[in-house]
Parts: sequence; C-alpha cells; structure tokens
Amino acid sequence: MATATEAPRGAVAHPDVGSYQQVNEDVLKILGRPGRGWWILFGLASLGLAVFAGSWANQIINGIGLSGLNSPIGWGAYITTFVFWVGIAHSGTLISAILFLFRAPWRQAVYRLAEAMTVFAVMTAGLFPLIHVGRVWHAYWLIPYPNSRFLWPNFKSPLVWDVFAVTTYFTVSAVFFYLGTIPDLAAARDQARGLRKKFYSVVSLGWRGTDSEWHHFGKAYIFLAALATPLVLSVHSVVSWDFAMGIVPGWHATIFAPYFVAGAIFSGVAMVITLAVPMRKFFGLEAYLTNKHFDALAKLCLLTSLIVLYAYLTEFFMAWYSGEPPERGVFWNRVFGPYWWATWTMLVCNGMVPILLWFKRVRRSIAALFVISIFVNIGMWFERFVIIVTSLSHEYEPFAWGMYRPSITEMGIVLGSFGWFCFWFLLFTRLLPPVAIAELKEVLPAPLRSRARKEAVR
Amino acid sequence: MKGQRTAALAGVVATLGALAFVQEGDTPQESPDAAAETAAVEPDPRAQPIAFPHDIHAGEFGIDCQYCHFSAERSVDAGIPPVATCQGCHLVVQGRNNPEEVAKVRDYAQRQEAIPWVRIYKVSDHVRFPHMRHVAPDESGEPLVQCQECHGPVQEMAVIEAVNQPLSMGWCVQCHVERDVSRDCAVCHY
Amino acid sequence: MSGGIQRRDFLRVVGASGAGATMFGCSTENVEKLIPYVVPPEEITPGVATWYASVCGECPAGCGIWVRTREGRAVKIEGNPEHPVSGGALCARGHSSLQGLYNPDRLTGPMMREGDGFAPVSWEDAEAQLVERLGAAGGNVLLVTGSDGGALGHLFDRFAEVTGGTRVEYEALSEAPLRAAARIAFGRDVVPAYDFEAARFVLSFGADFLETWLSPTAYGRGFARTSAIDPMGSKGRFVFVAPRLSLTGQNADEWFPIRAGSEASVALAMAAVIAGDGADAGPYADLLAGFDLDAAANAAGLSTEEIADLARRFVAEGPGLALGPGVSGQHRGSTGANLAVLVLNHVAGNIGRSVHLALPDQAAASPSYASLESAIGSMRAGEVSVALVHGANPAYSLPPAAGFAEAFGAVPFKVSFASALDETARLADLVLPDTHPLESWGDSHPRPGVHALRQPVMRPVPLFDARATGDVLLSAANTLGQDLGAGDFQGYVRARWQEMGLAGGDDFDGFWREALRRGVVLSETGEEEDAAALLAPDPAVGFDVPSLDGDEDGLALVVYPSSRFGDGRQANRSWMQELPDPVSKITWHSWLEVHPATAERHGLREGDVVRVSSPHGQVELPVWPYAGVREDVAAVAMGGGHTGYGRFADGNGVNPMALLPAESEEPSGGMVHLATRVAVEATGEWRKLASIHGSGHTQEDRNIAPAVALADVGQAEDEHDEHALYELQEVGGFVSVPADGEPGDFPLPGARHGEYDPETTPRWAMAIDLDKCTGCSACVTACQAENNVPVVGEQELLMGRDIQWMRIENYFETVDASHVGPVDVRFTPMLCQHCGNAPCEPVCPVFAAYHTPDGLNAQVYNRCVGTRYCANNCPYKVRVFNWYEYSDVPEPLNWQYNPDVTVRGEGVMEKCTFCVQRIRDAENHAVLEGRTVPDGEVVTACQQSCPAEAIVFGNIRDPNSRVAQITASERSYRVLDDLINTQPAVTYQRKVTFHEPAAAGH
Repeated sequence: MATATEAPRGAVAHPDVGSYQQVNEDVLKILGRPGRGWWILFGLASLGLAVFAGSWANQIINGIGLSGLNSPIGWGAYITTFVFWVGIAHSGTLISAILFLFRAPWRQAVYRLAEAMTVFAVMTAGLFPLIHVGRVWHAYWLIPYPNSRFLWPNFKSPLVWDVFAVTTYFTVSAVFFYLGTIPDLAAARDQARGLRKKFYSVVSLGWRGTDSEWHHFGKAYIFLAALATPLVLSVHSVVSWDFAMGIVPGWHATIFAPYFVAGAIFSGVAMVITLAVPMRKFFGLEAYLTNKHFDALAKLCLLTSLIVLYAYLTEFFMAWYSGEPPERGVFWNRVFGPYWWATWTMLVCNGMVPILLWFKRVRRSIAALFVISIFVNIGMWFERFVIIVTSLSHEYEPFAWGMYRPSITEMGIVLGSFGWFCFWFLLFTRLLPPVAIAELKEVLPAPLRSRARKEAVR
Repeated sequence: MKGQRTAALAGVVATLGALAFVQEGDTPQESPDAAAETAAVEPDPRAQPIAFPHDIHAGEFGIDCQYCHFSAERSVDAGIPPVATCQGCHLVVQGRNNPEEVAKVRDYAQRQEAIPWVRIYKVSDHVRFPHMRHVAPDESGEPLVQCQECHGPVQEMAVIEAVNQPLSMGWCVQCHVERDVSRDCAVCHY
Repeated sequence: MSGGIQRRDFLRVVGASGAGATMFGCSTENVEKLIPYVVPPEEITPGVATWYASVCGECPAGCGIWVRTREGRAVKIEGNPEHPVSGGALCARGHSSLQGLYNPDRLTGPMMREGDGFAPVSWEDAEAQLVERLGAAGGNVLLVTGSDGGALGHLFDRFAEVTGGTRVEYEALSEAPLRAAARIAFGRDVVPAYDFEAARFVLSFGADFLETWLSPTAYGRGFARTSAIDPMGSKGRFVFVAPRLSLTGQNADEWFPIRAGSEASVALAMAAVIAGDGADAGPYADLLAGFDLDAAANAAGLSTEEIADLARRFVAEGPGLALGPGVSGQHRGSTGANLAVLVLNHVAGNIGRSVHLALPDQAAASPSYASLESAIGSMRAGEVSVALVHGANPAYSLPPAAGFAEAFGAVPFKVSFASALDETARLADLVLPDTHPLESWGDSHPRPGVHALRQPVMRPVPLFDARATGDVLLSAANTLGQDLGAGDFQGYVRARWQEMGLAGGDDFDGFWREALRRGVVLSETGEEEDAAALLAPDPAVGFDVPSLDGDEDGLALVVYPSSRFGDGRQANRSWMQELPDPVSKITWHSWLEVHPATAERHGLREGDVVRVSSPHGQVELPVWPYAGVREDVAAVAMGGGHTGYGRFADGNGVNPMALLPAESEEPSGGMVHLATRVAVEATGEWRKLASIHGSGHTQEDRNIAPAVALADVGQAEDEHDEHALYELQEVGGFVSVPADGEPGDFPLPGARHGEYDPETTPRWAMAIDLDKCTGCSACVTACQAENNVPVVGEQELLMGRDIQWMRIENYFETVDASHVGPVDVRFTPMLCQHCGNAPCEPVCPVFAAYHTPDGLNAQVYNRCVGTRYCANNCPYKVRVFNWYEYSDVPEPLNWQYNPDVTVRGEGVMEKCTFCVQRIRDAENHAVLEGRTVPDGEVVTACQQSCPAEAIVFGNIRDPNSRVAQITASERSYRVLDDLINTQPAVTYQRKVTFHEPAAAGH
C-alpha cells in the first residue's frame, strides 16, 4: 500500500484536510490529556463495570439461580448477549480485512475504530458463556488438555467449537488490530513525552517507518487480512450452529449460518455507526469521518438488513411449509404468542426501520443514521432473544412450555457488559490513535505525499 | 464448596488462569504427617483414639483383613470391626507391648461405647466404590485386587496411613485401563 | 456440608456409614469418624440395605410396607408385596411417611404450657403431671383419638375404661354414612369390601377411590386390573357420576355430571329400572316400583333415558360395582345416598359378587363427627377435667363453627400426643410427643382375615425425644394402679396377638418372629357373607336431594379430600407440597375450581384471586378454571391453610372448612361437607399459579398420548410406514441412522464405537401402559424418595424450576361438564426416555451426558459444567437443573437421603437414571454369585410403587423379558416418534377408549 502513487480509486476525499502534518496533529491530539467529558463517560463505564462484576460475583456466590432462567428455558439473556457481542465483533474484521482485500478505501477512516470495537466486543462476548454456566469453576473442562482422567471434551458439541471459534477469532483480530496500529503508535511515540513516550516506545516495537519495514508490514497485514477473512464467516457460523445443531423447533434450520453472519455484520456496522458518530463529534474528526463514509456504512447496513429480513421470511415460510406442528407452533407463537413484543421489536427495528436507508438524504444525515443504528442495535439484541427464548419456550412438549423473564442479576450483567465494553473502548480512544493515521495519509492528495512521508518517519 | 466459589471468584479477574487447575483433581491429599506438623501444639485431630498397630495384627499375627473388615466381600463398605470383635481376642490377650492401649479397648467395651476411629480412606461422595467387586475372587480363587494394592502394605504399618495413592479418578482409571475393565463413567458415578 | 453435630451423634448411635451426603463433601478439612457398632446387630451389614416389614400409618387403609434401612436409618418405603392391601405398591402419601419421621418440625421433647408458649420438661415430670391430673380427674377424662382398629385402639378403649373416661374416635375423612347405610340395609355395621377385579362395570357416585377413599392403593390396583384392556381384548367400563370430575373421575370412560347431592336419585332410579326389568329388589320392591323416574332424573339434571340406559348397561355389561358417594359428596342426606347405592348393588346382584359385607375380626367403633360434637358439648359444659388428644387435629379439620378450640380451651388440663405441634396441640397444656409409626409398635386389621404388624424399623430419631403413646398410657395406668396386662406397648401388641390365637401351634415365639419378618398374617375369614339379606327400608332415611345453605344463585361448594394431604395431615411435608396435584398440577397453594363458562360469567381469568363466601365464612384463593366441574359448582381441596403445623404447611393455601357449617348428618353422624352454596367475587388481585403445567390441556397435534378405540385394537395399522423420515431416507437424507430402530437397539446400526458390545450387554428399557396409568402420582414421590430428588419450593416453582424427575402429564382430550358423555383424559408419565439416538448427548461439551454400554442415557453429575445445552435439546423436557443448592435441607430431613445415590449440588443437570443404582446393585450381586441378572430383579422405584402396575422395566434385548413382550404390543408407540428420530428406550402403550378418540394418532 505504501507503494501506491495516487489515491486509490473510490477513496473518499477529505477536502478539509490540508496536510499530513495536520493529520498527525488532529488525530494525536485526541491522545492528550482527557477532558471532562471523557472522565464523565469513563466514570459511567466504570460504574457499569462495577455493576457487571458485582452481579457476576453475586451470582457465583449465590448460584446461577439468580438468573431468571428455568426449566424449559435454559438459555436466556446471557446467551442472547453473547451472540449479540459476537455479532458486534464482526464488522471490525469485515471492514478492516474483507474491505481491505476488496480494496474499498473508504474503510480507512473507520477501520481502526471498528477493529478496536471487534477486540473489545469479543472480550465481552467471551465472558458470557462463563457467566452462563452453572459451575464456572469447572468451565476449563471445555478446553482440551491432557489429563490423567483420560477425559477430553466432546468434539461433537457445538459449544466446544465455540471455544475454538471465539478464542481463534479473538487471537487473530487482536493481532490484526495490534499490527495495524504499530505505525500509528510510532507516530504517537514521536509526539509523546515522559511515561507515555516509554509506553508507546515499547508497544510500537521500534517502528521507524523504513521501506523494508513498510514492506514487511504490508505483507503481514495482507496475510493477516486473508487469515481473518474466513474467520468473519466462520465464527458466527459456528455460533449459529449452537442453535442449528440443536433439534429445538425454531433453531434447527440450515440457513442459520449465512443468516447469522449477515445479522452479525448488520449489527456490527450499526454499532460502528453508533460509536463513530459521538467520537466524530467529541474529537472533532469531522474532516476525517465524512458523510461519505457514513453513506458507505449505511449502504452496507441496508444490504445486510435486507439479507436478514429475507432470512426472517424464509424461516416463517419453512416453518409453514414443513407442516410440522412443533415448527409451525413455535413460529406462530413468535409472532402472536406472549413474546409478540420481542418479535415485533425485532421485525420493526431490523426489517422496517432500515428501509429508510434507501433514501440518500437519510444516509447522509448523521443524526438519522445514529438513531437508526440504535434501533438496529436494539433489534439485533432482540433477534437473538427471539430465536433463543421463544423457541425454547414453545418446544415439542406442550406440557413443558414455559415463560422466562430476565432477573435483576441478568439485567445487571447484560447492561453492565456495556460498561465493561465502554471501559476498554474509552481507554482505547485515549491510548491509541482512533483513526488510522498512516492509512489516512494514503488517501490524501498526492502532492503532499513526499513531505508527509518524511514527517511520518521523522 | 465455598472454597471453590472463592476460587471461581478469583477466576473472574483471571479467567484464563484456569489452566493452573489442570492437575487439581490429581493433587495427592494432604498426608497425615503434614497435618501433624501444622497441628503440633494442639492434639492431632487425626490421631487415632487407640494406637492400633496394623503391623502386629495383620503382619505379625497374620490375621486376615476380612476378619475385622468383615463386609468387604459382600458389601460396598469394607466394614469397621465392632468393639465386640476387638473384645473377642482382647478379653484374654493383654497386649505385650502396649497394655495401656488394649486397656482402652476394654474401657470402650465396658462403657458400651463405640470407638471413634479416624477415617483415613474416603472416596468422594459422587463415587461408588463397591469393595465386593474388587475383592471378589477371580478364576484362580485369588481376590481380583489385593487389599494392599490400594491400601498399601498395611501389614507393615504401625500407624495406619494413606500411602502412595491419591484416591483420584486418574488413579482409579489407570488401574481400570491396565486391567482392561470397564471405563464407563456410570460404573462409578451415579 | 451436612456433617453437623447431630448427624455425627446419630452415626455414633447407629453405626458406620460409608456414604456421605453430598457430592461436594470435603475430604481433607474435616476429620471424619468411623463409628462401628458396639455389638454387631446380626442383620445389619454396612453398605447393605436391611428391610423391615411394617404398616403404613398415613391413613386408616393400613397398607403393608417394607422399609429399607441403611446403617440403621430408614431411607425408603415400599409396599409389602405379601400384604393383600398394598400388594407391593404404595401411594405418594405413604412414601412421604419418611418426611414425617425426619420432619424438622417434630418436637424435641415433652412440653408444658407456660403462659402463651411452651417450656420443655422432662419425661418424668411430664408423665408425673399426667398421672396426677388423671388421678384427680375423677373420671372426667376424654380421649379424642384417630381411628385405629388395632391394639392401640384397644388400649385407648381400655384406658378410657380404667380411668372412667370416654373415648371419641374422630377422622375427618369418615365413612360413617357408608357404615350407617350398611347397617340399615343389611344389618351389618361394616364398611363393605369392594372387589374391583370381580367387576366389569364400575360405577362411582363420586367416590374418589383412586385418591383418598377407603383404600386407594388397593383399589388402584384392582381398578387397573379390571379397567385396562386384557390379553383377550376386553376391558371393564367405568362410569363416574358426580358434579366434579376428580382424578378418579378422569379415569372414567363416561361422566354423568349430575347436580350436586343427587346421587340417591340416580342410584334409586337405576335400581328402579333394573327392578322394573325383573330383578329382585327384595323389601325395596314397593319403593322402587313407585319411584318417580322423571322427578329423579330432573333432580339430577339428566334425562330418564340416560338413567335407564345406564342402568341396563350396568346389569348387561356386569358384574357391576357401584360405589360411593365419597367424602366430597357427604351431605345432609348422605346415609340415604349410600343406602341407595347399596340398594342398587343389591338389585344388580352385586352383593357377594363385587361387594362383600364380611364382618371384621374385631368390631371397631365408627368414627363419626356426631360423637365429637357431643364431646365438644360436654367440654364446653365443663364436664371434662382432662382431655387427651391423639392422632386427630380437630382444631384444624373441623369447621370453626364447631367451636372446638373454644370448648377445648375450657378443659382444665389438655394433653396432646402429637409428635409435632399442630393446631390442636398448640392449645394443649401438655404435649407428650408420640413416636412416628416407623419408630413404633402396633398392628392393623384392615380387612377380615388380614393381620399386619407394625414394628420400629429403626431406633427413634435421637434428635426427637419421643415416647410411644402406648407406652406412656400403659405406664400412666400402671402408676394409677391399673394393670392393663403389659408393661410396654410392644408387650401389649404381642399379648393381643397371643389372644387372637392366630399362631395355631404352641410355638408363639416362632410365629411372632415370622409375623414380624413377613409383616402380615393371613387367616381364614370364617363365614362367607353372601347371605347378607336386604332389610326393609327405614322410613327415617330419605332419598331427597339435600338442601344447601346460601344464596340460590351461588355455586354449590364441593370440598374434597386432597390426594396429597388427605384431610391435611400430610401437609407439612415438602414432598407432598411439591407434588403437583394430579388434577390441576398445582403445587404448594390452594385453588378454586370453577367451570370456564362460570369463570367467564364472573369475569375471572386463571389466577384471579377471588373471595369465596358462604353463610359460614369466607376464604380468598386463586381461580383455576376447570372444565371438569359443573357450571353450578365450585370446588376446593382440603388440607391447605394450616396456621400452626410446621414450616412447609403454614400459610400455604386455604382451609375450606371455614366455609362449612358444623353439622352432622342424621342418622350416621358423619360430617356434612356438601352443605352450602358460595358466592364468588373477584378481589382484583392476581397470582401466578405454582403449576408445572406449561400449556393448555391439549397435545397440540403432537404424538404424545395417543389413544386407540377398543374396537380398533387388534386391527393393527401399519402407520409406521408413513413416516416422513422414511421418505427423506429414500431420497438420501438421514441415512446413517434408521428411523425404524427398534427399542432394543443400542448402539444404533452404523453408530457402533468404543466399548459398546451389543451382543452381551443389556439394553435397559421401560414400558408404560397408559391404559393402566391412573395419574395417581405415586411414582413421582417414589422417585423423589429413591433418587434424592430435592424440593425447590414455591418461589422456584413459580419461576418454572420444577425438578422432579417424573411428571404425569395430563391432557384433557374430552372433558365436558355440559352433558353426559365420554371422558378422555390422557395421563402420560414423562421421564427420561433414554433415547438410543439421544439429542442431549452430542451437545454436551464435556461428556457429562453420554450413553452407557447398557443403553442408559447417563448423566455424570460431577462432570457437568452446567451449560444446560442438553436440557434445551431434550425434546421431552425431562432434564432438570439445580439452580441453587437445593439439597440443603433442614436437619434431619437429610437423613432420608439414599446413600446409594449422589446428592447433587448446585449448577448441575440431573434427570431420571432408570434407577441405575438398583441396576448396579443387582449386577454386583449377580457377578458375585456367578449368574446373570434375571428379568424382574431390577425394579425401578416408580415401577415398584405403581398401584396400577402400569410400568414394566427390564432388559429389552432379552426376548423373553416382560418389557420386550409388552413392547411388542400393537398398542406400543414412542412419544414424538414421527417427529424426531430419538429412538427412546421407553415405549408407551396407547390408552384404549370405548369411544372413537378424537385424534387417534395424536
């Protein structure tokens, strides 16, 4: 990429950005002393984190019974939230890896943000299976390790696949994320002083920006992008198999993998918008995150929304077409049963509200996008809730049908997990350049390139 | 239980440290000696109420294990001898080395009181270990498993102690593998 | 965790135990003591169960029991197969006897009143006090006792005699009107014996003989034998005639929903029709000849033709057996109603055939409310100086209007022999806790020719310093200078038996030992009573429909005995509280049954709390709309609403006695239960019902409890060929596992691996005959007792966290109170199906759920991490989860835990294991003895307990096993078989109906 001689085709112009130097200053100034707003947000996030940790600790001490789960409905808000965060984690790699491989240069302004979101979202998601199990102190039994008992995990179980999928995804996306930040960390190092300087010196691994470094960097980056790309598809496919491999009516469907992947990207892109809009505002990044970027994100959102909507309709059609009473029953119950509100929330938020994105004016309106993205976030949480809870509540045995209501502990943990996520994300905004400096420079007008290069390696 | 939960709590902070527990199940139980050291000041709660020498009874005199542990052949429990069994011999046998210990036996018998032996061997509550299946005779008439294979050379022990064996699942399974007998979980766990 | 000091003390007394209490028991921190027997009890081997024969003390039926003890403590009760009443089975209440024994609310010693409360006293002081008061009473002594036909009852009578007092027997569930009717009809003061097996047409006028009436376990077996389809393809018919469809009624083939209290009209009308057809009506010929059929039909809300048709079928399809009315039908004309039913039996020729009137070996008084009523009068009048109460709780079970509490309070010195403080004991001055029946001596003579001994199966639980009331009375009499013939009650029982002369030879000691060993002695019944001739009608006994108090627009209030609590005495047992009611599936609290149409008329939904008021009182409880009650009826179960009985009972539900007048019926003196109409009004509150039922009462078009019409049995249809799965296989789907796997297959062809050796290992399987299952739920509690299944409590149940390994699903296919017609309720005991192709197994990430080589779907608790994936994937929803540490129970309830079964801790999944501990035990013994396990040696707890003999267990790979043969029946099916390819090991046999079932396949 460093060898490009002009801005790639399709790159988004940044007419307000004057020079490479300005890029450095604009982005790196975010890393300076945090303002009051940041501290307030950080305080809120820490509070959420405390609620999260407190609720979980309480649950470990007193028992998983503190959740609202029960006999037919063994999975509820925790697994819903697990899938939700895994889904959020998707857009990061999609934007950075797949769009990189497909040479969609508009990604450059948002990919750092998206990648950070990915890493933190996987970190959040990974906690939920632990929160969920009845005996978390034995959860390590899911890891295959040699032991004297001659016992291994059951490799047939999708939950074991989950362990592999999520840890792999976390590892690769974390490495990918870190790799991409190295040049920017070096840039930050060059501007920082004192303790910060030491920190950036260590984490930037002595990056000097030489040709050979850029060369290797590029190779490694494209290699990792290629490695990460199939993971985007596989992770959520595996997560979807948690359900599709079950025989629960409403879960046992072949479309689950693509359906979940599309849903994941949908929710992930929405979350990127949700995070990017306030960041742009607070950090004054209007020049870098332009309407055009949001327009592109919105288009991606629209596309995946349509796929998801199509999947919904397919599910209903297949349930009807199968002629099986349990299948039909569960889908009828989804729409008209006691959980109708969840289903309709899902359908409205994910299938109907995004229709507005057909209009260019909406796509170009940051405020409208922000609102729509919130709707999508809510809708996608409810999508998982609907799939998990309504299916389990209305299975084969009519005698054993049941209802479920999340408990205070569950709500504390679910909402607290946003605190945990924001905690890391806010730290990220202060410690790492939230917009990729080096890559942004690539899309700036060519005449400035040579000077910028010098500055970058200074 | 609470200990496990506390450990789990610590796990919230360092979830990935879980691998440190890998060998948890296989850690040998604290040996009586170690316990004795820590409780040097106070009377050792693990001390037997009567210094019963297995080496004299089972070793020197060669009394069969099942003379005292009478139900090993027909029950899941090996059985602890009733005071009457002790009294049966010690009515006449005064005990040449430790007459004062033998006197204790008689005291218990006189008071019609049970001797509160300290338990040395105990498998976890979720494990079923039927003694009868292990000491049942094989084709040659010998027990499938000699008592000593699990309990160690009891006939040489002045003070009974658990030796060389952690009573862990790996230890059980090892033997089941070597002897090619069932390794089905529900043979022991139900 | 339960290594409390008491437990250790206990072990010191009874001996060494190798079994601990929980799976998380610590091994290194706690030093555990091994306590041997001081003197070896010859019959006890540690680790090996010892069984004792005894008699159940939960109701007057007197079932023979076997009690399993381990290391000297009782851990399980089973029916004594040699006893003709229990026949090896036991009801849920009988199982709960253990919880009475280990009840944490039992008294720890005698108590003396001190101000408003009680202070503990020593037995010596307490007995001295008793003797002193008795001596000073000058003969003004009143004994209020429960009914006991054995030595204890005899002792009570003798004691009353020597103290110059009177004894009053009182049972809340009294058969006084039935005895009175037998006396009037045949001159015999007996409760008739009913032989279900001799009958082909059972007709019950509301008698709940499968739940509480007289001897439910014996009747359950007899009924199942006659009403289930036999190998010849014939099936006895059962018609239920009552305003409310009880569990017994739900087992009927037809229901005549008559107006409350009109049984006599229907019975006499039937008798009149039969007599009109030429049957001999003896002295009733005139009465029947002049009987106004139309008026009777009108009174009952039936048509004359319906009655005539029923009467003619009753005779034609006979031998018949008419029963009832039951306790819930005791009204102001109850004796007449019972008499009418006896007359019907006589006219139909059933006397001596299915109804026997043999005189008992020992005449027992008839416990009636009337005698207690007069005793209340004399207490109120100050004529009683000392009142002794044993085995009765009138302060709870009588309507408040009876004024028992107030009259009892007027007695200067009141003694209760209750083992736990109940409502009556709380009013006493001195409480002398009795030993539990499992710790006591006693005997029973439930039928002519049947003599059973009760013996202590263990030393009294040392936590509770109790003494047998028999011993206390004997010693008191002795101190008063009266010799009653024995120093202690054991000797008294023995002396009584010696007197009866059953021993035959001279060797009474040998006879006695044998009697103790077997628990029951059968003797010749002497005369056969066919000669019982119908006496002339008593003009004082009328047959009119009785009047009801209250507003004409109100609903007739049916108060029925609870099949879980009886009259309320089993209420303080968590097992019983948590056992779903067999009809409503509600646990812990009370409910009001009204017809859905009535509910709609009053604007009530399920769970709306209503105020039910009669002229005598009012209660508030939630509504459960039930199509099995008439629109003009409201029904409440007895047994709820205790105010001072213990932690599990108090505050749960309501006591419907508050709605009733205190009135005895003439001439029997029985308590009137059907006496009033009630007004129902909403309070505006709503509560969630703690029901385990998750849906409406239909199968939602799924193959869960299909039925087959009797006419179609034998016309085997080949419907299995129609499987959709087959079609899929033909086009290449699902090829690895065949859809038509046989129940005996494991591993399924193509799925063979590991240690699985299909040639030599058994495949354990179960067959459940739904034509026999009566839904009585004895199996549920039996399983709970055997497998240490915990109790979760009402709050957890409200969250849907029921944990019983078995549930009896009841699907109301046809329940219609609006007219005469068929009833079709399908009971399906649902337990782990031990699928050959189990959906739970592949999803478990740690192999906690896996398949054993002998075909069990095992659950390894200590491997379970608690992901609950298996439960999600179980289509039968039989996997239950320990959301909390449910196994923590108050001392000494934990003593009940079966040492052969792991007690599960928090966070693990559990489910039915097919009683794997019993399988392993049988295998261990078979190996030691060098043999194989024969068919029938492994009996699961549910199978063992089932009065209807509906459950059969065994190795299905053995073609000669019973389970294999029953599974081969054309009625066999597997639940959800055409929807999912799970290949269960449990097969069910379809229910057989007389009518064409609405959806035969589903």
